[in-house]
Amino acid sequence: MKKIIYALFAFLFFTACDKDDNTTKVDPVVSVTVTNLPADTIIGITPGVPPSGGMPFGAGKYTFYSLERGVVVPSSDSATNKWDIAFRGTAILTNSGNGGPGAGGAFVFIGLFNDLKTIPSDSTFRTENVPASFAVPFGSNRGWYVYDGLNNLVTPIPGRVLVIRTATGKFAKVEILNYYRGGVTPAASASDNVKMREQRYYTFRYSYQPNGTKVF
Amino acid sequence: MRFSGLIVGLFFCITAVQGQVGKTSRPDTLYGSANEIIVTATRTEKKLGNVAVPVTLISSKQIAQAGSVRLADILQEQTGLFLTAGFGAGVQMQGLNPDYTLILLNGEPLVGRTAGILDLNRITVGNIKQIEIVKGPSSSLYGSEAMAGVINIITTTPKRNELEMSARYGSFNTSDINATYNYSKNKFSYQGFVNNYHTSGFSLRPNSQTSFITPINRFTQQHQLGYQLSDKTKLSGSVRFNRERITNEIAVENNGVIVNSEGKESNDDANISASLSHRFNSSVKTNAKLYATTFTSEQELATSSGAPYTDYFKQRFLRFESQTDFSIFKNIETSIGAGYLLDRANSTRYDKKESTKENAVGYAFFQSEWKPIEKLVIIGGARYDHNALFASAFSPKLALKYTLTNTINFKASVGRGFKAPDFRQLYLNFTNTAAGGYSVFGAIEAQKIINALKGIGQIASVESDFYNLSALQPEFSTGYHASFDYTASKKHTFSVGLFYNNISNLIDSRLVAYRTGGAQIFSYLNVETAFTKGLEFNADYKIGKYYSVTSGYQFLLSGDASELDKIEQGKVFTRDNNGYSKRLSMSDYVGLPNRSKHQLNLKFQYQKEQTFATLRALYRSSWYVTDTDGNGLFNKGDAKATGFVQLNATVGLRIAKKITVQLGCNNLLNYKDPINMPNFFGRSGFIAINYSIKQSTEK
Repeated sequence: MKKIIYALFAFLFFTACDKDDNTTKVDPVVSVTVTNLPADTIIGITPGVPPSGGMPFGAGKYTFYSLERGVVVPSSDSATNKWDIAFRGTAILTNSGNGGPGAGGAFVFIGLFNDLKTIPSDSTFRTENVPASFAVPFGSNRGWYVYDGLNNLVTPIPGRVLVIRTATGKFAKVEILNYYRGGVTPAASASDNVKMREQRYYTFRYSYQPNGTKVF
Repeated sequence: MRFSGLIVGLFFCITAVQGQVGKTSRPDTLYGSANEIIVTATRTEKKLGNVAVPVTLISSKQIAQAGSVRLADILQEQTGLFLTAGFGAGVQMQGLNPDYTLILLNGEPLVGRTAGILDLNRITVGNIKQIEIVKGPSSSLYGSEAMAGVINIITTTPKRNELEMSARYGSFNTSDINATYNYSKNKFSYQGFVNNYHTSGFSLRPNSQTSFITPINRFTQQHQLGYQLSDKTKLSGSVRFNRERITNEIAVENNGVIVNSEGKESNDDANISASLSHRFNSSVKTNAKLYATTFTSEQELATSSGAPYTDYFKQRFLRFESQTDFSIFKNIETSIGAGYLLDRANSTRYDKKESTKENAVGYAFFQSEWKPIEKLVIIGGARYDHNALFASAFSPKLALKYTLTNTINFKASVGRGFKAPDFRQLYLNFTNTAAGGYSVFGAIEAQKIINALKGIGQIASVESDFYNLSALQPEFSTGYHASFDYTASKKHTFSVGLFYNNISNLIDSRLVAYRTGGAQIFSYLNVETAFTKGLEFNADYKIGKYYSVTSGYQFLLSGDASELDKIEQGKVFTRDNNGYSKRLSMSDYVGLPNRSKHQLNLKFQYQKEQTFATLRALYRSSWYVTDTDGNGLFNKGDAKATGFVQLNATVGLRIAKKITVQLGCNNLLNYKDPINMPNFFGRSGFIAINYSIKQSTEK
């Protein structure tokens, strides 16, 4: 199974974007976009037909990611501080609380990615207490996405920035851009088969501040 | 004129169709005439030209010449009305959802709404004398549901002995057969009416591997009796049964497996009314009416695998009402009335089928029409509805009409409308086991059920809206209207009006809790506000003796004040071309979804005695359908349905003394949009034959 997932990482590539403008700091923080990060993609459908069966399922594994190094971390390292953020379906996990050994955490900032220049000092970072509560609230219209049941589509809510405290206590900001392969949401009229096949591929951009400050 | 072009068009159409015939013209007066008598606007018989509120009158001639068979067919051709799909054909009036328009049959309400929508295809137009449409909040006379307006369907009454039959056949194996028998002798009159409608159905729906058909059969019968007890007293009664059967054969592909389902649906209406009216003298008359109606809907869906799904809903509605009209002073006409109604429902959609949900309403109303000077009419009225289940409602109305010149009238009105929460919003108990197991509980049930689930550890968390759950309040609207009517001559009329509706307390579903395992629980709260405003324009023009042009236009804007506030505060975002979030600017806000900004209709008509031809063009501009960017409201860039033109045409002629024939074609341009309008079929045609025997013993 893991091999399959690793093979999918071949699709993974990074692009470095323009540096954030008018940052006069010594270390300008770079914004990085990650595309097609698989997050427990659907590998099968339970036998039968709805409502008793016919439900899609994945392998149930998180995809771990290091914001510091910009790489996918193998799940054998899930109990380490090597990762900062993990994805499984629409669930996003930080390396904190009962989600991992790290000193991570997160909260959702409502506003624009570029407007978040300094994390307010009075911000409260939530930590994981899964499955009861996630640092990035889980569920439609609670955290980063909204689910349209009529058209069976997941859409990241615009103007939501995930402010992440990494496993080692540094800071990053993440904006989820898309939930489908290639960063393209299928048409509302597309068949459920297409929507199922294309989903659970994250496109997101992030900025990581390596110097430990809350300034981007 | 366009006659030859029409024939060509029809010919073209009939080749694509199997042909069909409608009911032909009945003896009737010119439609649109200011002298037509209407009752809905004031609950008293008034000439159309004399009422102070906006009223549209559709005559039987207009219905017949359009080749309409179901109520939805003719309503969709009216200025400012849009048909909506899903749970049957509903009608959007002044930008308000179908839930907010009261549908009356001879002044008595029709019941049996699914998800707030009363399917207008349930109603045949075969024995309709006229349809009266009052726009704007009218709860001051009609109580709940009359928030956007009222549509009153008036059936014909026997005036002479007559037998009339018509048969029509058309595309999709659609047939419509009517027979009306009128008998009138001395003090007694009777009308019997039967209608049978059948269609083999069609499907435009995408993603269905095999096209499925939805055969529908509807049978209506109505019997009306009248007995003149004396010169001053009349007793009348009516009974109507409507039976609808729908079969669905659906094949859905899921992961390569084709699942066949067979659905059966039955919807039955029964309406019984009795009325006694008495005229004491020339200035005082009174009536008392007893009305009972039931609506029973059953659905059964058997799937080739899996458990069958059944749904049962029965509503019983009983009403007693009395109204007295009098004029003590010379310039003041007053109506007062009171009534009591009992509304009951049983459904598998509630906790259990056996438990009856009940609401009782007592109400009283008055209305006075005062004519201080010859040129001015002022109407004031109010109604109070006392509800057993929730807060009471008070609905005032004020209207005036001022005759500026012989040819120009000015009208203005302000009124309040309300809609009481329905049984669904109060008692629904629905869990969808197929799609993620979400539940929707009515407002009365939700706290009880969630607390019970919490007690057994089945609730993971509750949302802030859970604490806002309380007794639902009625939804309210306040409507304003002002218009100018211009009658240049008998050949040319023109009217332009502005309307504004402010709606508060709108009920919407909200997420209130999560079950252990993540399934969502929704309930209903009074949370939303909205406004609709616009302009309506109508013009009729007669050219020569035989030709006429009728046109109508509606411009509509809508929105939600709380959404506008959020945009202004910079709290709403959308995405730019790179997919990055950006702030939504006010100019990108488009208001409420499913509403077209522009609607235009143009009707060309030729008529010479029994020969006629019509060509009707209907245009609606694009409307937003999906919040693609996920920001919770509708803005430029969200998905919309394309605007389109629909062309309909009919021709009719007399082929023998008692026989007329009609040919028609709907949607000549064959416009289709299966995604956004799955029930809007392509080009279709029909041929209809009408046969009538009249005895000239005019009573």
